[in-house]
Amino acid sequence: MTAPALEITGLTVRYGDVTAVHDLDLELAAGETVALLGPNGAGKSSTVNAVLGLVPPSAGQVRVLGRRPREAVEAGCVGVMLQHGGLPSQARVGEVVRLVRRSFPSPWPAEDLLVVTDVAGLVDRRVDQLSGGQRQRVMLALALAGTPPLLVLDEPTAAMDVESRRSFWTTMRELAARGHTVVFATHHLEEADAVADRVVVVAGGRVVADGSAAQVKASASGRTIRFTADPATRFGGLPAVTDEQWHGTSVTLRTADPETTLRALLARHDRLPDLEVRGASLEDAFVSLTAAAVTTATPTATAGDPR
Amino acid sequence: MTDLLVFQLRRVLRNWQFVLFSVLLPAAFTVFFTQVFGGQAAGGTAQDRADFQRYATDYMVSMMAYGAIGAALGATVRLAFDRHSGWLRQLRVTPVPTARIVGVDIAVGMLLALPSVLVVALVGRFVNGVQLPLGTWVVLVGVMWAGAAPFVALGLLLGLALDEQAAGAAIGILGVVLAALGGLWFPAELFPPVLRSVAHLLPSYWYGELGRGAAADGVPGAGAVLLLAAAAVLFAALAGLVSRRRPLFAVSG
Repeated sequence: MTAPALEITGLTVRYGDVTAVHDLDLELAAGETVALLGPNGAGKSSTVNAVLGLVPPSAGQVRVLGRRPREAVEAGCVGVMLQHGGLPSQARVGEVVRLVRRSFPSPWPAEDLLVVTDVAGLVDRRVDQLSGGQRQRVMLALALAGTPPLLVLDEPTAAMDVESRRSFWTTMRELAARGHTVVFATHHLEEADAVADRVVVVAGGRVVADGSAAQVKASASGRTIRFTADPATRFGGLPAVTDEQWHGTSVTLRTADPETTLRALLARHDRLPDLEVRGASLEDAFVSLTAAAVTTATPTATAGDPR
Repeated sequence: MTDLLVFQLRRVLRNWQFVLFSVLLPAAFTVFFTQVFGGQAAGGTAQDRADFQRYATDYMVSMMAYGAIGAALGATVRLAFDRHSGWLRQLRVTPVPTARIVGVDIAVGMLLALPSVLVVALVGRFVNGVQLPLGTWVVLVGVMWAGAAPFVALGLLLGLALDEQAAGAAIGILGVVLAALGGLWFPAELFPPVLRSVAHLLPSYWYGELGRGAAADGVPGAGAVLLLAAAAVLFAALAGLVSRRRPLFAVSG
């Protein structure tokens, strides 16, 4: 059994009196594609920075392929797209890629790297002249330059348009198929849903859900029941109902057990016009999970986006 | 190591302002001021020729110092720019060790001080006709190159301590202050007494003294050597302190 690609135990990251990550545990097996999903300020970037050794943990430990973060990075085990990373001025793209490639013990074949990341046409370009999307492609080339077993991407598609985003995720799926472990932080639900085979929802610096996209959807809130009713009515006392929301005369009840809830509803009401029962979307799950975490978390755990 | 060194050298040399201020301008000043002011002394007598030689040598040494200071500061202060752009943070997540990044920038600063010294020496010798024994030329170029060390350390300190814009402004101002008040543009002997005592507090004055001593006696004065070494140690120690408080890969701002 080889070491997990990433093993985080009891990770706590504090900036002054702000706790960005709170006693977080996470283990990624080699070859997984994992989305770290959470709203802004959930602690995603802080977790990523601790994994890379960019911030020291206040407590807990991180092991990347069985090594300490700095050792793993210096051994060339990790490829990274940072949120606040950058490219050097007064340099050409080809020079930057070459420099980073050659710093790794097992560099990605040069020609192929440029093709895979769609950078081939940019090698003679000055870095200062790149567009936002082109910069991101170059950053991806740098992340892949060392054929790293673990890829860590912090909001990689933030500056991309729809087209670049699609081709980016196609590349990521190909990489995952080649056996790379990919972990990416995002607040795009569609991305997590479409790309990751495991979704870890982070809120208030803690993991609030962990599983396949389908499991997260199911675990979060079960199902929703929607129908039209008189806004004066209240449904909070119904069995298994966890949430009640009104849009005009349309009420949406979130329930852990739709059958029980429906029985109770039908026992009390003759009619339930426009009745609709459906599984929660990942977005519903996300909202309910992160909202729950924020209300239960201690005030210090709801940290702002750390810089 | 060599990859990063070549990469950094290329980046710096691609900056035409750097080449202008560290090599072309000092070389042009060497010719211009020596011909304009030194030319008045170039009469026919032996005394005139000796005066011209002294003036031309001193001015050449001043311009060696001026150019090398510009090169040393200009090359190393770039750390602030690389931090600002996020490039240092990016490098931090590659196998390149941080110590090597700083080491390479120090090497780049020292390497790029040499052309400034050499080109001005060549101009002094072949355009202005400065006559020195061969051994003295070798010692002069050697000590002027080595004497750039405190300014490399100073540039490093500024690059580590300041943000991009402040660092850019600081080297512009500092270059002028060090050159003007250090007696590199006009000899400090011509300064009023107060300014002269200010000059004696600046490493740039002692850098000039280092070269004037080497050119006149074939060896630099011990005082200049000691003071410049002390300045180098002081600036390097401060740079070390600053880098401990504010890691290179921290996001700027």
